Amino acid sequence: MQGVLGAFHELDAAVHAIEDLKKKKFGDIVVYTPTPRHEFEHAMKHPPSKVRVITLIFGLLGVTFGYWIPVWISDYWPLVVGGKAIATWVPFTILGFEVMVLVGGLATVFGMFALAHIPRLTMTVGYDPRFSAGHFGVWVEAAPDQADQVMQLLKQHGAEEVRRER
Amino acid sequence: MATTAPPYPGERRPNVPSVAKRFPAVHDYEQVDREIAGTLRPTLGWFAALGIAILCMLIGASTWTYQIHEGLGAAGYQPPVMWGVYIVTFVFWVGIGHAGTLISAILYLFRAGFRTSIYRVSEAMTVFAVMTAGLFPILHLGRPWKFFYLIPYPNWRLIWPNPKSPLVWDVFAILTYLTISSTFLYVGLIPDIAILRDREKNKVRKAILSQLALGWRNSDREWRHFTRAYLFLAAFATPLVLSVHSVVSFDFAMALAPGWHATIFPPYFVAGAIFSGIGMVFTISIPLRKAMKLEHYITLNDLDAAAKLCLFTSMVVGLAYLTEFQVAWMSGNRFEIDYFWNRVFGQWAWAAWIMLICNCVLPLSLFSQQLRRNPTWLFILSLFINLGMWFERFVIVVPSLSHEFEPWQWGTYRPTWVDYGILLGSFGWFFMWFLLFIRQLPVMAMSEIKEIVPPKMRHPRTDIELERDLTEGTVYPDDTGATH
Repeated sequence: MQGVLGAFHELDAAVHAIEDLKKKKFGDIVVYTPTPRHEFEHAMKHPPSKVRVITLIFGLLGVTFGYWIPVWISDYWPLVVGGKAIATWVPFTILGFEVMVLVGGLATVFGMFALAHIPRLTMTVGYDPRFSAGHFGVWVEAAPDQADQVMQLLKQHGAEEVRRER
Repeated sequence: MATTAPPYPGERRPNVPSVAKRFPAVHDYEQVDREIAGTLRPTLGWFAALGIAILCMLIGASTWTYQIHEGLGAAGYQPPVMWGVYIVTFVFWVGIGHAGTLISAILYLFRAGFRTSIYRVSEAMTVFAVMTAGLFPILHLGRPWKFFYLIPYPNWRLIWPNPKSPLVWDVFAILTYLTISSTFLYVGLIPDIAILRDREKNKVRKAILSQLALGWRNSDREWRHFTRAYLFLAAFATPLVLSVHSVVSFDFAMALAPGWHATIFPPYFVAGAIFSGIGMVFTISIPLRKAMKLEHYITLNDLDAAAKLCLFTSMVVGLAYLTEFQVAWMSGNRFEIDYFWNRVFGQWAWAAWIMLICNCVLPLSLFSQQLRRNPTWLFILSLFINLGMWFERFVIVVPSLSHEFEPWQWGTYRPTWVDYGILLGSFGWFFMWFLLFIRQLPVMAMSEIKEIVPPKMRHPRTDIELERDLTEGTVYPDDTGATH
């Protein structure tokens, strides 16, 4: 992947640069920000995260499994008390709930890892340690013939440093 | 003690917690990184505290070894009181573990601003408190090496635990709580570990931090999924907080002993857990705030807001105590009435009055704004709350067993040095982990504080514009300076 990386110290400068890059339809953009900012969300216009779907599916699977465990145990090793049902849903709701939270919670985290592409074994193109401190980074995918244009645009918007990355 | 953070301009009551949280003495992102990463340097005081904690832990470990050798009789159990200090301390530590998730998850969902300063400390406290609590049911077993019998797994004995038993519910609830609260803590730490990784000069430490940060790069893609996943984890953790202590209360409420068989137990236990947890948050965060010079992060406004929560939960707990008495009185049940009379004016009056004074009387001082904003008083009060909440569990566990239905069943209970040694060891174990944590990982969420600190802008908003937007609620504080 070839592209250009711009490091900004001011938030509004980075946002304006992204808006301009979007308008001029250059390649894919990756924003690096030390903290989540709504301004970038609005500028990037990403669809909502799909983590919610993973949470829902695994939460439902968890609650099903959580009920199944005690029902199966009660059936396998019945404790017969006169007049009482062998499998009783009221006390089993506790296990159903706990397993739903356990499976749903862990699936949410692993789902987030999968969607965010972490764990990452190597630092990919375009990362700079300054982006976890106080700077905002904008990486733009650009073919060699577009790189100069992108670099100029980023500089115009006040990038402190602009460099080609590959 | 004065904070460096002055009250917000234009607000009549500066101590009202709200979404409009700000750190006036924190100017930029670099300052956040520098100051919070600076707290990781070990000091002489830290080494001394860690040494004491390890010593206490070793006392507990040797006492347990002695108990395993001698048998459970070495502890103070004698019929009819076969639940004593271990179960009391188990419930105590589970309760301590509750405020962490309350502060990190529930206050997150409610957007309470004061959460930001204290939630990392509270989350770490939760994990270590639940780790400590989990030891006690094992300590309480005559053959502790067989604790895994409670876990339902396919085995050659073809024996399964009884899923209708509160003991099995406990296993599920505590293990789920430990797993989810550790996950919540770790997930929240990932961006901060990445900050430490990027600042680290030492190659070995950098390599370890790189592994722990999972290659986090602060990209928009990562933040988008991270914030959503964090929200869902908070949403899962919130009912979990309520369920875990409710399940612990079922250990008692499902039994028929007088004083235990009450429907009020789940909410009563949850309120008590939150109250005791906030007490422990004060015990931990006030010395940390002083020792690490974090007064401009954990401001007096934050302590004030947490103190109000403490006062509220204290009153809920007080109401629960009164309700217990009223229900016993109105029930006309002679055993219940006799039990509660014995609790307050009889054999266990000393313990009950320690509980009532520490949990219901002393916290009333928090009606005074001056005392709510006095860290020294809050710290002293928190020690009384910890004491009072331990005695609350003592008053629940021991008097019921020692004063059941028939006079021939009555007895007494006197803990031995083994009980006290293990109790001391539990504090040593808890503080050892906590002290190790605060020197390896940041005690405050750096990336979350940065959300509140205004970013550098080419065209910053004026204070008047900022104040207007925050007051009218047209933007969240992290939108300040938005360009659209």
